[in-house]
Amino acid sequence: MFKKLYQKELSYYLNNPLGYIILILFSVFANFWYVKDVFVVGTASMRAFFDSVPWFLMIFIPALTMRIFAEEKKVNTIEVLLTLPVKEWQIVFAKFFALLTLIIIGLLLTVSLPLSLSILSKIYLPEVLVGYLGLILFSAMMVAFSMIFSLLTKNQIIAFLVSLLGIFSFLVSGSDFFAGVVPRLINDVIIYYTPLYHLSFFNRSILELRSIVYFVSFTLTFLLVNKFFLENRD
Amino acid sequence: MIVVSSLSKIFEKTIAVDGVSFKTKEGEIIGFLGPNGAGKTTTMRLLTGYLKSTSGKVSINNLDPIKNRLEVLKNIGYLPENNPLYLEMKVSEYLEFVSQVKGEKNIEQITKEVGLDEVINKKIEELSRGYKQRVGLAAALCGNPKILILDEPTSGLDPLEQEKIRDLIKKLAKRKTIIFSTHILSEVEDIASRLIIINKGKIVYDGVKPKGKGAVEKLFKKVVKN
Repeated sequence: MFKKLYQKELSYYLNNPLGYIILILFSVFANFWYVKDVFVVGTASMRAFFDSVPWFLMIFIPALTMRIFAEEKKVNTIEVLLTLPVKEWQIVFAKFFALLTLIIIGLLLTVSLPLSLSILSKIYLPEVLVGYLGLILFSAMMVAFSMIFSLLTKNQIIAFLVSLLGIFSFLVSGSDFFAGVVPRLINDVIIYYTPLYHLSFFNRSILELRSIVYFVSFTLTFLLVNKFFLENRD
Repeated sequence: MIVVSSLSKIFEKTIAVDGVSFKTKEGEIIGFLGPNGAGKTTTMRLLTGYLKSTSGKVSINNLDPIKNRLEVLKNIGYLPENNPLYLEMKVSEYLEFVSQVKGEKNIEQITKEVGLDEVINKKIEELSRGYKQRVGLAAALCGNPKILILDEPTSGLDPLEQEKIRDLIKKLAKRKTIIFSTHILSEVEDIASRLIIINKGKIVYDGVKPKGKGAVEKLFKKVVKN
């Protein structure tokens, strides 16, 4: 059942220019950013790339997730879906994994970067893989988070803007800028809850168990929030 | 069998359904009539478990549509109001998806019965309103449900298409319990065996369909006015 729902969700994006446009834009921006560093700044490092990608995802994740429930609510296909013999969690998970698959395709479109880097210098493959794993875990958390706003409104633009603001808040709270403007005591507490802090381990090729637990538990919590709102529709 | 007892639904301060009770028998075709905003769609959504009631009880074949959602939905074929469909999908893709979810193996027979053979490979968005309605009906028929709940199945169709859908409902009625809502009183005269009229959330008539041309209209005007 889950497989059928997953295929339906994924095929919408793969049979629609929207999915390709978003993926191509993401790939172009991410690749450009890296190439700019190589030629303008004169550095060629995957760490700089991994540090910058969450900020691109801040725009691309809401762009992909904004329609996932909002459009179904607007045209009322949500009523069709919810009167089929499928469980609410299956609907939420199918939509989540379809979106995450698209993000992973988007990230795969950037593998040319470590490949080109391997020509310029020696790269250690596990380091790159850990970096990408961090981005996938971060994306999973933010996709589950963004889906909530698509579920709470029929308006895709509102869903996009609110989840953009939400992801921005997550990112800023873990940034150097935030650390500079809030009292140290507060920052010391908040930092452990911010995705950038946990992502920094992956970017430095450290496979930290507590960071994996952080991303997985936040993702599951957000998915449960989705399920709760879907069950308590009115 | 559907048993509804003292069913109510309140949206914030609006009472959409107010203490509705009725029972259905197997093989009945029930015409569900009422003016706009009378509570027809809300009642149907409560029957399918799409909405939770504020108070009262619904039982579909002795099962609660909220507590036993999946089991109940396996027994119900539902055509929602305005027939929402995934327009970007092909007819074949959509029906394949619904049939797989509902465990229907004989989708070819349903498409043939509903008359979708000609357009099976077209995108739903390219279809006429009549064909779209048939797609919605075909989806409702998947899984061979014993109960069909059809919310305005002929709404917006031209008279010829209305007649075709009506003929189809009559054909299906031989083996299913059907509840359909409509604004078209002649439709009730034509196909319903029983009539339920709802007004301002309350049932104002539940009984046999009055016989004779224009009798339903006369009854409707009388009970809705009071």
